[in-house]
Amino acid sequence: MITEYHRPDSIEELLSLVSRKSPRTIVLGGGLYINEIIKEPIAVADLQKLGMTAIMSKGNILQLGAAVTLQAMLDPDLIPAALKKAIKHQETYNRRQVATLAGSLVAANGRSAVGGVFLALDAELVFSKAKAKIEKVRLGDFLPVREDKLAGRVITEISIPAIVGVSYQYVARSPADLPIVGAAVAQWPSGRTRVVLIGYGDQPVMVLDGPEADGAVEAAKDAYSDADDQWASAAYRSDTAGILVKRCLEEIAENG
Amino acid sequence: MIDIELTINNQDYQLNIHPGERLYYVLRKLGYRSVKFGDEHGLSGADTILLDGKPVNAYLMLAAQADGHDIETIEMMGEHPKQGWKKGKGLHILQQEFVKTGAIQCGYCTPAQILASKELLSREQNPTEEQVRDTLSGVLCRCTGYLKPVEAVLRAAARLRGEEVPPIEDPIQVPPEWMGKDIHDSIPPTRTIEVDGSTLTAERVITELKVSNSPDTWRQVGKPKEKVDAVKLVQGKPAFAADFERRDMLYAKVLFSPHAHARIKSINTAKALEIPGVRCVLTHKDLPRVPYSTAGQSDPIPGPLDCYSLDNKVRFVGDRVAFVAAESEEIAQMAVEAIDVEYEILDAILDTRESMQPGAPIIHDQDDYVNFADSDPTKNLAAEIRIDIGDIEEGFKQADEIFEAEYEVPKVQQAHIEPHAVVTYWDEDDRLVIRTSTQVPFHVRRMIAPVLDLPVKRIRVIKPRVGGAFGGKQEMLIEDVAAHLTIVTGQPVQYVYTREEEFIASRSRHPMRIKLKTGVKKDGTMTANAMYALSDTGANGAHALTVTGNTTKAMALYVGDGKFRESPNIRFYADVVYTNTPPSGAYRGYGVPQGYWPVERHMEFIAHEMGLDPLEFRLKNSLHAGEIHPFSVAWSEGREPFPEMIQTNGLVECVNKGKEAIDWDKKRADKGWNDVPGKPHLKRGLGVALVMQGTAIPYLDMGGASIKLNDDGSFNLLVGATDLGTGSDTVLAQMAAEILGVNLDDIIVYSSDTDFTPFDKGAYASSTTYISGAAVVDAANKVADKIRERAVMVLESRLEGTKFKASEIELADCCAIAPDGHAVSMADVALHSLHHANQEQIMAVGSYVSPVSPPPFAAQFAEVTVDIETGQVVVDHLVMAVDGGIIINPVTASGQIEGGMTQALGYAVSEEMVYDEKGRAREKDFRDYHIFEAHEMPILETIFIETYEPSHPFGAKAVAEIPMDGVAPAVGNAVFNACGANVLTNPVTPEKIWKELRGN
Repeated sequence: MITEYHRPDSIEELLSLVSRKSPRTIVLGGGLYINEIIKEPIAVADLQKLGMTAIMSKGNILQLGAAVTLQAMLDPDLIPAALKKAIKHQETYNRRQVATLAGSLVAANGRSAVGGVFLALDAELVFSKAKAKIEKVRLGDFLPVREDKLAGRVITEISIPAIVGVSYQYVARSPADLPIVGAAVAQWPSGRTRVVLIGYGDQPVMVLDGPEADGAVEAAKDAYSDADDQWASAAYRSDTAGILVKRCLEEIAENG
Repeated sequence: MIDIELTINNQDYQLNIHPGERLYYVLRKLGYRSVKFGDEHGLSGADTILLDGKPVNAYLMLAAQADGHDIETIEMMGEHPKQGWKKGKGLHILQQEFVKTGAIQCGYCTPAQILASKELLSREQNPTEEQVRDTLSGVLCRCTGYLKPVEAVLRAAARLRGEEVPPIEDPIQVPPEWMGKDIHDSIPPTRTIEVDGSTLTAERVITELKVSNSPDTWRQVGKPKEKVDAVKLVQGKPAFAADFERRDMLYAKVLFSPHAHARIKSINTAKALEIPGVRCVLTHKDLPRVPYSTAGQSDPIPGPLDCYSLDNKVRFVGDRVAFVAAESEEIAQMAVEAIDVEYEILDAILDTRESMQPGAPIIHDQDDYVNFADSDPTKNLAAEIRIDIGDIEEGFKQADEIFEAEYEVPKVQQAHIEPHAVVTYWDEDDRLVIRTSTQVPFHVRRMIAPVLDLPVKRIRVIKPRVGGAFGGKQEMLIEDVAAHLTIVTGQPVQYVYTREEEFIASRSRHPMRIKLKTGVKKDGTMTANAMYALSDTGANGAHALTVTGNTTKAMALYVGDGKFRESPNIRFYADVVYTNTPPSGAYRGYGVPQGYWPVERHMEFIAHEMGLDPLEFRLKNSLHAGEIHPFSVAWSEGREPFPEMIQTNGLVECVNKGKEAIDWDKKRADKGWNDVPGKPHLKRGLGVALVMQGTAIPYLDMGGASIKLNDDGSFNLLVGATDLGTGSDTVLAQMAAEILGVNLDDIIVYSSDTDFTPFDKGAYASSTTYISGAAVVDAANKVADKIRERAVMVLESRLEGTKFKASEIELADCCAIAPDGHAVSMADVALHSLHHANQEQIMAVGSYVSPVSPPPFAAQFAEVTVDIETGQVVVDHLVMAVDGGIIINPVTASGQIEGGMTQALGYAVSEEMVYDEKGRAREKDFRDYHIFEAHEMPILETIFIETYEPSHPFGAKAVAEIPMDGVAPAVGNAVFNACGANVLTNPVTPEKIWKELRGN
């Protein structure tokens, strides 16, 4: 239950709110998830006055404001096509208007296409903390401990590499259904390859981060060898994960 | 509390609100009731508003987030074009096009679709179809299949660019040489017209017109008229149950069971009652114990009485434990969570195969269970069916080959976007008014009376606009909750299901395990066909017997050929058993889709195994016109059956036209067509299913209508029939207007109110056009006769010495016209009868019950692409050619087919309800229960093959349910054709295909 609403004018004010012990104060991006997950009395701090909606390219890095909406990420040419595909797959038109990037990553579960692609891209989250301190955390390090990491700090920016090949493939019951199995693969010009699986568990799973793609398919199969739930058997997920990873790599190769 | 400022539709509001209050509730309280509740997650999109011009979900947004922003709802977009002396601005072009194209069915999601589209057109003057579909992806529609909304937006865009668009209303021109030709003489020539009048979309709606009795003289029937309720719905008027407001309204919530099977040892409500704003908490100890059935059916209800408003036992996760009424929904929910219940957990049955096993837990062990027919609670048996036609064993002996297989169909939900909603209150005469979103207002009144210990005469049920139902509201489901709370508190009570409650606590399609055994001669003649269905009625037996009995319709289509055609050998046995899962009930198709999955998958497999052409094999054995419907001699929903002859059957034409539309012959003959060039992992496939439904329930279900002439020559048409978004108010008005010789807008339709409208069984069993339509025609003919008599009086008073015969007076062009050309206007007839001489109110009541249930027939085609590595299937194209008799309104009828095919598409590939080992639902929202969205639809094509059904005054049969029947098996057959995967369980999911391809 939300007992307080705040709309801070500055990051400092925002930080002072989220640093309070009581009431627990949660950052409100678009608001898609907050009412679903919180039962106890909380305060919310709305980001809408703080901007953080820029999409910028700096060298080989794409910097994305924490409050940029998923819809806003569909227009710029800077955004990789695979990421746009994941955004459109994950959220409908209405929800994309308010879903913020940071909120989508904080709430990413195992079936999150957006979370999976960002994880493959080895996204870096920039946190602001009290006393103007900045902390940078990789998405892969953040997701398993997201509750703790958010205490007393706020995500202000997300950065991803600009010059990498990236692909997102999935299997679902229908084109717009959530993935039963999905794969996101990012490949750097150096050959570095990151492979992420989607469709099972509490968060997307990174199964390979290596200097090259060798072993990616087998790693994917192994990673989902126990991925059994009501939606699919582990045998199916494992086999399909390997196929999708292979296709991702082929697509990246085709696109140069 | 906090202060906020909102600008809503250019009007400023300064509000003091709770920080956590959702924008949705604030808007509704301020009177913006076009903003609807569809779900808790913004996935239905019914709550769409424009915030600073962008479509967002009001239910997901805090009102505080909107502080300082501009909000737009559909209330500001347009208004009725004629408002007396005031010059109104009229409807927005988008609204106009939604009306013209038939994009509005139930209308619940229409404001949301229009607002989202408005935003698109504000930034994109010339949108592509893909852009339109992407925009509409945020608004789920369960009625239309999205085709007509997409067309409406594209047409509006064209008009906003200043371009002309073709009219929708192009009249169907019948060649003169067809006139007067009887349908039974010979097959007349056919022609094709495009009803959508636009080439803007890739999909087309095509009407095949075959000449009928005298369509050239019809001016209302057979024409694509705009829906009579479209203008109100396109404005988002407060027409639905939850839009109704009363002073001192309380809000209900229900505590639902977390256990699949348990006895309630104790309930403590003290903490709940202490919460400020809580007015009432009811448990089973507070209410009279009255066994009843929730099934909205005619008296006597053909099923056991095994429900109680509240019981000391719970039988599924989601069963009722306690009711709360409070000053707000939030307070009521807090009270629900404060109720302390101690349960004695019992062993549960979650698999139908265990229900009748010795030693199985008894789900209904209460003493006051009321049996119906063969129900036996000691065996967990809700109903049993044993039908034998001919000699099944002899039939199998005569077969050259026997094919046996076991199939399975899932539990699925109606998923109407408007949830169940009801408001109850005592009126000034101390009568209980129940304003409810229901398909069956008269059944609700009759059935709820004993539950409340009120006589029927002290209950008034009002059916407002219904936002989709599909069988889910053929139930007395939540009306008693609000009514009990009103009885205790004396206050109005509103109860609206959340989406999660819809999934855990409403009704769904019966899942079944079905064994099918078929005997076939080498030449493809079927000699015997036997089906056994193990049907899961869940925790209650509503519709148990009749839904499963209806599964026989799938068996009835194939009777065999030669001597077997004259004397078919068919067996249908079924056991309908209780489990500790949410109760099953009525869902569009009512048992028939469950039958067609096995029958049509089986037919395909037999044809494949025997090297027969799948369509020739089907048609060789299918039922013909002039033959007796085989089950009509053996089954009639548990009552005495009467033989029925099939009068019309356009199945062959359906097959031919459907084949043509999907290019069947060429693709099936081309051995390379299954391959996708450059993509060896993809295979294409074509599949077909032939289907038939019923039209109404013979000798039982009755429709009624009354028609009253007004001073200006308009008419009030009062019907008990319920328009759920189907367009039935419109087609009923078209039939009345045709007979009375007036325009459609001279017919004012009202439906339904048990105090004012004649009885009608309600909207189910594909019966409204056929049964209620015949009642309307009956009333209209009686009124027409009175008008003719009155016209003679007027004409003879005007033309002294001239004599006229009433029987020669024609009603047309809003006049009564004598053979010599003298005419009197309908308004003059009205003024004369009401004011001038021998005054009388010209009105009449009509009613109709049918001795037959003439089946519509259809050929359903599907084209798919299968990924043979992952099993992913994508449905690319659906074509349905339907013989629904004469089509009264091609726009509304094609909307029924498109929407039905889309629901059935979900049944084919994505929709199912799954429970864990404790009976807890996997699907509780539209994320997990995925229904098709606008941007993922295949091409849809509808073809009408019109036959003239002689038992209906305009030759109509039905189209409402038949589109649910064929899509799933056609998709399954297409997958089989594509890659050889013979999936026996629907939905056809990727893993099932994958397993089949790997021989698992």
